[in-house]
Amino acid sequence: MTSAGLLHAKPGRLMALVLSWTLFGTGALWYFQAAQTRHAENPDDRVMPTIQAMGRGWWNAVMEPPEDAEAMPAGATIWQKLTSSMLYKDTLATGRRFFISLALLIPAVLLGLHMGLFPYVGAFFLRFFLFFDKIVALSLLPILFIAFGIDELSKIMLIVIGVAPTVILDVFNLSKGVPNEQIVKAFTLGARDFDVAYRVVLKQILPRVLNSIRLNLKAVMLFLFAGEMIASTDGLAYRIALLRRHMAMDVIIPYVLWVALLLFVVDLTMRAANKKIHPWFREA
Amino acid sequence: MMPLIDVQNLTVKYGPRTILNAIDITVEEGEFICVLGQTGCGKSTLLRLILGAEQPTSGRILIDNLEHPRPDRARGYVPQKYSLFPDRTVLDNITFGLELTAFNLFTRWTPGFFRARRHYRKEALNYLLKLGLREQDAQKYPDELSGGMQQRVAIAQALINRPRILLMDEAFSALDPATRRETQSLMKYLWKENGFTAMFVTHNTREALLLGSRVIVLAKDHADSPSRIVLDEQVPQDWRHHEDAWIGRLEQASISESVETPTTASRAFATAKASGTTRQR
Repeated sequence: MTSAGLLHAKPGRLMALVLSWTLFGTGALWYFQAAQTRHAENPDDRVMPTIQAMGRGWWNAVMEPPEDAEAMPAGATIWQKLTSSMLYKDTLATGRRFFISLALLIPAVLLGLHMGLFPYVGAFFLRFFLFFDKIVALSLLPILFIAFGIDELSKIMLIVIGVAPTVILDVFNLSKGVPNEQIVKAFTLGARDFDVAYRVVLKQILPRVLNSIRLNLKAVMLFLFAGEMIASTDGLAYRIALLRRHMAMDVIIPYVLWVALLLFVVDLTMRAANKKIHPWFREA
Repeated sequence: MMPLIDVQNLTVKYGPRTILNAIDITVEEGEFICVLGQTGCGKSTLLRLILGAEQPTSGRILIDNLEHPRPDRARGYVPQKYSLFPDRTVLDNITFGLELTAFNLFTRWTPGFFRARRHYRKEALNYLLKLGLREQDAQKYPDELSGGMQQRVAIAQALINRPRILLMDEAFSALDPATRRETQSLMKYLWKENGFTAMFVTHNTREALLLGSRVIVLAKDHADSPSRIVLDEQVPQDWRHHEDAWIGRLEQASISESVETPTTASRAFATAKASGTTRQR
């Protein structure tokens, strides 16, 4: 093995597949084992619910309305049950905030582009955003609650304030990084300033901008969860914080996995879309 | 006759360093000027000044008796690399100039644009074939083409706007020798055929003689002094009969005094090597 060199030792297809799932498998096995042991000692253990208990918790979250809402009438269809369930309502509330925040990042992208291309805009904004980027957004939370109240606006502002400066500075650097030859060439072909900005520079940095937003999705979720946990009456993080008081691990754990799955799907969709819209783009 | 490009008493300083000093050049319509010089002699700077991508410290440049302080349609441009837009297919790269000239950001969403684009694409395809690319290449993206093909597309992209002046900065320097020779003869053919005025910056003496109707050599007197024009001559039709003499003369002219004596760094290296302190691999 050593003579072959570890750097060059490549696992085969099957081996790679087995290796990549090993940690998932051992994690699940370990949990199952530990939960069984704890329940053998104390059948009422709430810290590590069994797989069956979590299945039940998940089923209730998917099919039953939350405790603080009215119970479903007896003859409700499955569709009615699903769309008034706890999980559905929470996912909808969180998803709404998430996508509004993403939409608010579009002006941030455009601002970064103009800062990178037009020296006057850059001179006006750059120093401010360099400073702004260093403010710990969570420390602004009390100020936001005081200024905007504890409703939707302050939560969305928290996300935008937390993520926008990073996106702005990233797009600024990306537009600066476009080779000068491209810009000069466009002018010699008859382009005007805004042709260069939108048809030359924005178009070719767009796949990298999307990647940058993908990397920032986690920060978006982080600020969203912070806002929801502290001041909210619905949403996935609100539910997790609420259930913590009841130590309802049988619902919390499925919720955590659900959030991870959602974020994974959003990321995957964005990556696929990026590839589809920009077939010319080669990831460096 | 009024010159097409008139460079008057041009001086460029970067901070305290003077790069170019008192440069005067007049270019008549239809000339093919090759600017020759060693790395760092300011020949690319000169080209970028004529292009309008850089501003002189003093002096001025007139194109057809007018100053053009920014890059615009008055001059076509083919740089060494990054000349093609990576997000556009070959065909769309070539039609881009025509699109930009006739339509702006808003009118390009009108039906008239899409009608016009059909004609542009036809014209672009003609250029593509004229420059030795195949029809199948039209829908490829630039990074799917070889370096030589990319430069051909870049030339087509610049020429389709029919600029009176074409500026090229080491346009063929990244190509392998065979491709380079091919592209050079193509360039010469295009120049004879279309009658544009060209300025071509290169550090390759042969290339300058091969392409140019006139050669300008830039060089410094000392390592720290600014560059000046040390040679400016028409290339006769029969230069090949005295090929070695021409190459020798141009290369002699482009060598500044400082280069003949070893620089401090290379002297230090030579000393170290002699005393055996350089690390053996």
